[in-house]
Amino acid sequence: MQLPITVTRMGLNRRLLGLLLAFAAAPAAWAQSTACPVKVGGILPLTGSMAPITKKIAQSAELAIEHVNQGGGVKGCPVQFILRDDQGQPTVGVDAAKYLVDVERVQAFTGTISSGVTGPIISAVTAPSKVVQISCCSSASAFTDGRSAGYFFRTLPTSKTQAYATASEVSRRGMKRLAVIYVNTDFGTDMLRFYRGAHKKLGGEILAEVAYNDNQPSYRAEVTRALASKPEALLLIGFPKDAVTIIREWLSQGGPRKVALNNSMRTMDFVNGVGAQFVEDFFGMDNAQEPGPHVDAFNDAFQKKWNTDSKGPGVHTQYDAVMVMALAMNIAKDLSGPSIREAVRRVHTPGGTPVGTGPAEFKKAIELIRAGKPIKYFGATGPIEFDANGDVSGPALVWKITGGQIVTDRTIGLTDMQALTRRVEE
Amino acid sequence: MMGLASYLVFFACVVLVLCILTMGLNLQWGFTGLFNAGVAGFYAIGGYTHAILTAAPSPQLMGNFGLPWLVGIIAAMLITAVAALVVGLITIRLRGDYLAIATFGIGIMIQLVSLNLESWTGGSQGITRIPKPLSTWFEGSLTYNLFYLVFMVVVVALVYWALERILSSPWGRVLRAIREDEMAASSLGKSPLSYRLQSFVLGSTLMGLAGALYVTFIGFVSPFDFLPILTFQVWAMLIVGGSGNNRGAMLGALVVWGIWAASGVAVSKWVPPSHAAQGAAIQVILIGLTLVLMLLFKPRGLLGERAVVSRHLVW
Repeated sequence: MQLPITVTRMGLNRRLLGLLLAFAAAPAAWAQSTACPVKVGGILPLTGSMAPITKKIAQSAELAIEHVNQGGGVKGCPVQFILRDDQGQPTVGVDAAKYLVDVERVQAFTGTISSGVTGPIISAVTAPSKVVQISCCSSASAFTDGRSAGYFFRTLPTSKTQAYATASEVSRRGMKRLAVIYVNTDFGTDMLRFYRGAHKKLGGEILAEVAYNDNQPSYRAEVTRALASKPEALLLIGFPKDAVTIIREWLSQGGPRKVALNNSMRTMDFVNGVGAQFVEDFFGMDNAQEPGPHVDAFNDAFQKKWNTDSKGPGVHTQYDAVMVMALAMNIAKDLSGPSIREAVRRVHTPGGTPVGTGPAEFKKAIELIRAGKPIKYFGATGPIEFDANGDVSGPALVWKITGGQIVTDRTIGLTDMQALTRRVEE
Repeated sequence: MMGLASYLVFFACVVLVLCILTMGLNLQWGFTGLFNAGVAGFYAIGGYTHAILTAAPSPQLMGNFGLPWLVGIIAAMLITAVAALVVGLITIRLRGDYLAIATFGIGIMIQLVSLNLESWTGGSQGITRIPKPLSTWFEGSLTYNLFYLVFMVVVVALVYWALERILSSPWGRVLRAIREDEMAASSLGKSPLSYRLQSFVLGSTLMGLAGALYVTFIGFVSPFDFLPILTFQVWAMLIVGGSGNNRGAMLGALVVWGIWAASGVAVSKWVPPSHAAQGAAIQVILIGLTLVLMLLFKPRGLLGERAVVSRHLVW
C-alpha cells in the first residue's frame, strides 16, 4: 500500500531521535498527563471607563505569567495566557468568559473588576462549568456568599478592611459628627455599609449620607445636601476625578477641613487637582502590603519590565491572583476544576515553607510541591490566606497629606485589624 | 468540538434574546416610525420584574418572592406594558428627535432607579439566584443550555409568527400608513395617536419579555446590564439587519452580536497579551468600522423592507 506521506529512512530516524529526546527531557510523571501548553484566561475591562487603571493591572498579570513560565510553568508545561476585554459590559464579559472556558479550555481564569460583570460571569460560567476564578479587584462583598459553589476567590480584601480601619482612625481623631458623600456603585455602597456599623459602634454619628453618580460636571447639589446637616467632618468615598470636583465644591462652600478619604484618593492627581494648600491634613486608608522582601522583589521586577512604578489599585492583587492560580494548579492532583478549587487553599498552609514572589521563588515552590511539602505563599500584597468564603483579610495603612505630599502615617497590622473587626462585630 | 458546541449554544441563546429585543424595536421604528431610544429601560423593567418576583428570598431585599418562573415572565410583560403605556401617554405628541431625547432620558432614569432602589433591586449588588425553568430535569449545564436553546427558538418563532400576522393585517397597514404620512392617515379616519400608542406598548412588551428571558438565562441581574450602550447595540442590530423587516431584525441581531464576539476572539488570537490594552482598543475600532462599512454597502440593511403593494389596486 502506498503511504500518503513518503518518509525517507533518514527522515524516520530523525523523527525517532526527536521523539526520544522529547521523552528524555520531559519531567517523568507530569508531562504525560497534561496537554501542553496549559491555558489560563484573563478578563479585564481594557476599554471603557476603567481603562486607565486596567493597563497596569494587565501588565501585572503578564509579569506574573512570565515569572511562572521562567520558574517552570504548571506541571512541567508552559502557561499560555489569553486575555479578553469585557469593555465594562456584562454581556460582553460573560460571552468572553464562556469562550475562554468552553473553546479555549482554560483551566482557570482571573477577572474581572466591575462587579456588574463579575456577577453574571460567576452565575453563568464559573459555577455551572466548575472553573476556578480568582479576581484581583472585584470588591462586592456579596460574591463570596456561597453562590459560586466555592469556585470564586479574590486576592483583594473587601472594603470591610478599609471601612473598619477608616472608622477607627476617624474615631481616634475625635471626628464624631460626620457627613458621608459616596459613589453610587457596589464599591461605594459596600464600603458605606461596613463603615456605618463601625462608626456607630465606635461612638460616632452619621448626619447625612449623600450618594453621587460618577462623571457628572458638578456636584453642588450633593455637597449642599451634605452641608445642610452641619457636620464637623466629611468622609468621601469615590474616585479621584470626581473627588476633586466634590472637594473643591465642599471647600468653596465653607465645609470643615476635616476630611477622610478612601484608597483611590491616594494619588498626586487628587492632591494637585484640588490644590496642595487646600488638602493639608486630609487622610485616608488603603490596603497595606505587609512589608518584606517579597513585596520589594515584585515592585523591582515590575519597574524593570515595564519601566514604570507598580503603584496603583489592583496591581499587586492581580499578580497574586495569577501566582495563586499557578501554584494551585501545580498543587492540584489534576487540572480539573474541583481539584484546583481544593488546592487553592493549600497555597498557604500553616507551618509550610515560605515562598515569595519572582521566578526563583516559584521554582523553589514547585520543587517543594513535587516533594509533597506544604508551602506558604507570601505575595506582592503579603501572606495570601483565603477564608472559608474565598476572601482574604489584610493589614491596612493610614496615609495623610502633609506639605503637599502623601505620607504613610501608621499601619494597622493584621492582628490589630482582626482585633478591630472583632470589636466592631461583637 | 464539544467545547465549541457548548459555546455556540450559549451564544445562540444570547442572540435569540437579542432577536426579540430587536423585533420589538422593529415594530416601533421599522413599522411605526417611533424613535425609541430608551430600549434599555424597558429591557430593564422586564428583567427586574422577573427577578424580583422569582428570585429566592434574601434578607437584605424586600422582594424576591420566589414565585414560579411562568408568573415572572407574564408579570414582566404586563408591568412593562403598563410602564410603556405611561411613557407612551406622556410622550404621545412628540415626534422624531424629541421622542428620542425623551425616551433616552427615561431609559437612563429607569437604570438609575434600579441602581438606587436598593431595598427592592439590590442596587449595585444586583439580584442573584434567579431560578431557571425546569432546571432539575437536566443534568449538567450543556444539556440545560441545549434545552433553553430549543425553548428560545420556539419562543422566537412564536413572536416572529405573531408579529408577521399582526403586521400583514389591517392594523399593520395603518401603522405603515402613519409612518409614511400621518396626515393622510388621519384624514382617512384613523387615529394616529392611538395606533402609535398601541405599537409602542406592544413593542415595549416584547422588550420586557426579552429582559425576563435574559435574566433567567444568566441567573443574575444588575443595573450595569442596562447602560445606554445596549440601546446603541440594539439600534445597530436593527439598522444593519434592515429595519421594517422582522427577518432582517433577527439577522441583524446575529450579525452585530457576532461581530462583537468574533472581534474579541480575533484580537485575543492575533495580539499578544502584553499589548492587550491596545488590542482591545482596536477591537472597538473594528466593530465601528464593520458597522460603517455594512451601512455604506447596504444602506437599507442586509434585508431591506419588502415593498408591499395593496391587493386592492385596480389597473
